[in-house]
Amino acid sequence: MRRVIRLATLATAASFALSAIAQTPRNGGELIFPVPSEPPSYDGHREETFGLIHPIAPFYNTLLRVDPTDISGTRVVPSVASSWTVSSDGKTYTFKLRGGVKFHDGSELTAKDVKASYDKIIFPPPGVGSTRQGQYVAVEAVEAPDATTVVFRLKYASGSLLAGLASPYNFLYKADILAKEPNWYEKNIMGTGPFVFVEHVKGSHVVGKKNPDYWDKGKPHLDSFRAIFMRDSAAQVAAVRGERAHIQFRGFTPKDRDNLKAALGDKITVQESPWDCILMVGFNHEKKPFDDKRVRRALSLALDRHEASKALSQIAIVKAVAGVQVPGTPFATPPEELNKLAGYWTDAEKSRAEARKLLREAGVPDGFSFTFSNRGIPMPYEPLGVWLIDQWRKVGLNVEQRVIEAAGYYGVIRSGDTEAFMDFQCGYIVDPDLDMYKFLSTSRNPANYGRYEDPVLDELYDKQSRTTSVEERKRLVGAFEKRLLEEEAHYLMTLQWHRIIPHSAKVKGWQVTPSHYLNNTLDTVWLSE
Amino acid sequence: MASYIIKRLLAMVPTLFGVAVLIFLLLRVVPGDVVEARYIGQGSQFQSQELMQLERKKLGLDQPLWRQFTSWMGGLLRLDFGLSMWTGAPIIEEIRLRFALSLQLAIMASTVATLLAIPLGILAAMKQDTWIDYAVRVFSIAGLAMPSFWLGILIILVMLIVFRWLPPMVFTPLWVNPWENLAQLIWPALAVGYRYSAVGTRMMRSAMLEVLREDYIRTARAKGLALKLILTRHALKNAILPVLTIISLEFAFLLGGLVVTEQVFNLNGLGMLFVEAIARRDYTLTQALVMLVATTFLLVNFVVDVAYAWIDPRIRYR
Repeated sequence: MRRVIRLATLATAASFALSAIAQTPRNGGELIFPVPSEPPSYDGHREETFGLIHPIAPFYNTLLRVDPTDISGTRVVPSVASSWTVSSDGKTYTFKLRGGVKFHDGSELTAKDVKASYDKIIFPPPGVGSTRQGQYVAVEAVEAPDATTVVFRLKYASGSLLAGLASPYNFLYKADILAKEPNWYEKNIMGTGPFVFVEHVKGSHVVGKKNPDYWDKGKPHLDSFRAIFMRDSAAQVAAVRGERAHIQFRGFTPKDRDNLKAALGDKITVQESPWDCILMVGFNHEKKPFDDKRVRRALSLALDRHEASKALSQIAIVKAVAGVQVPGTPFATPPEELNKLAGYWTDAEKSRAEARKLLREAGVPDGFSFTFSNRGIPMPYEPLGVWLIDQWRKVGLNVEQRVIEAAGYYGVIRSGDTEAFMDFQCGYIVDPDLDMYKFLSTSRNPANYGRYEDPVLDELYDKQSRTTSVEERKRLVGAFEKRLLEEEAHYLMTLQWHRIIPHSAKVKGWQVTPSHYLNNTLDTVWLSE
Repeated sequence: MASYIIKRLLAMVPTLFGVAVLIFLLLRVVPGDVVEARYIGQGSQFQSQELMQLERKKLGLDQPLWRQFTSWMGGLLRLDFGLSMWTGAPIIEEIRLRFALSLQLAIMASTVATLLAIPLGILAAMKQDTWIDYAVRVFSIAGLAMPSFWLGILIILVMLIVFRWLPPMVFTPLWVNPWENLAQLIWPALAVGYRYSAVGTRMMRSAMLEVLREDYIRTARAKGLALKLILTRHALKNAILPVLTIISLEFAFLLGGLVVTEQVFNLNGLGMLFVEAIARRDYTLTQALVMLVATTFLLVNFVVDVAYAWIDPRIRYR
């Protein structure tokens, strides 16, 4: 394991060195970027929104991070931790902290601060909210035996612990502050990050300036950044087009990309990636005929995902045909294997003939009507909803779409007043534990609105989660995917979201990844002029 | 007059209480709450029911409705709007931040509307059925037909494509940097002001036409009074009352109703705050904003009624 880590570190260092040779970063300038949402509070341990990450992440560090140069957004590298070792039974992770990491108040970060931060996330005191607590159920204790060592003791070996510790939300806070007031960080900012907080004008903007004492010498390159809250996508595009903003880190539509490229030519650089977000169709298993897996599978078989990928990617933020993992990432099923699953066949006619056959076998009459609930958000819910209805009509189904206002949507879905419905998930890192948890039996995960119990699926999840063998985990993830999407067809996947970032060509040192929660620390970013 | 004013002010109390009851109940009828909006709508994989219960308890959403209502009303009586359920910040602070921008924009847009509507309306009436009248009517009908946000988008596109310039994206108060402030707000003020001037122009024209046909105007003309004096001393005073009502009520609307225009120009105003508060099911903030807008409407109505009496001495209240 140590050898693997050493090799990974060397590879990362080599990649940084190559980048440095290619382009020497220029220091100075202010990065300006619109943020489509605003953070409700400043506490990363409490919030769920990218509206917190984009403007607030530059003020903090995390124990580990996802390699900012890795396009797959899955390679975990050191951040405040300089190295780590794993015990032979996979149940003890020991992290060594780098020295010289200082909070913005001048005090030094020690293992005590890391322990306090993780205790708040994993074992929050009464009255303190931690939204990702469930992600660390494997952790038994966090210890700080000395000032530069942090130990995570697990109840069982976990294949996802390192990914979990690289969460961009897991800001490292100061232990003394947390001891006095555990909710202090909801309304205050004080981290060790590359930028120091200057101001937040509510509804308007957040400003950060360069941290002169940053531990990673030579960084950050920018003098400051200004995150401007801008809800309207047309205003965001206009800001980039009018060169009042350099970049928007969440993503634009294909049309916006084309317009910006046409207007600004070489002044715009476009980076694209499959996006770790997906809309899927859930079925209320308590409503007939959706309690019959033949019907659910027929609805998946009715979809021509490959043709949709070509057509919808022109107008919506979706593209790749995908299973439970983002295509191209370590645990994703290769396309040739995925295309063997029912609903993923490349021959649409054969697929639809099978769908009709299954519907007949299930006793579903031709012209059967049902209601499909969709969320009242235009992109990409609207085009995907229209596409689904069109595809289902091709196998003789008559679908009525019920569009529900966004904020009230999950209240309706959770109540069970649905037949088929659109559901959604988005991750900060592509990882099987994170991406597959959604589909566990409703008794284990109440956020599974399909209202089903599937102990086999749960067992596959637990097994893949507890194995540290990559190959074995790949096999188990594949088995989980086959059961979820084909054998039981509990859910059907639409298309993977596609992240499109057209940004000013002046912005350098930033790499698009599948997650809009990643690469927002801004330490590597610089402006060429 | 004094007793009339007192009666009108007292009549506001039951109206405001009715608004308070209505908004309190309506918000709670709509599915979802602020905790769901915060934790479920984001697409995250791990959703903790315990956390959601904890958050509801912190916000008092686990309390019976009557207790939530009395607690809110108690706060209102002390002019304490409480804390935003979304940000945890005092509501008064959330509103204060946006109020300056919305107020300035409402004043600027109303000024634009008044400066356009009154002279154009008078001109069209004076030159009835001439090309001037037709031109003014086309101008005002175009203003009615075009939504102000659409005109706003058009203004932005023209500035962007033709002049390669965009207004500043962040609000600067007038007293900090007047140039930056006007460079940002003049465009939405023009877009919105033009839209509202259209209604005023048509109203001014028809009121003026009606007044110009009155006997006392004919008498004034027969006496040989100069046209300017006839217009300012006799006609305008009588014709302006309905226009005043329209522009005043629109002023109240502009304070909290410019949602789309604020989006288009990225203005951090009360309209956007309103929409976001509703979308996030921020009950306390939405309730406070509704009460603010309702109070503004009532006050503006009250001021207009008093102004009627002041402008037209025939209108006296006993």
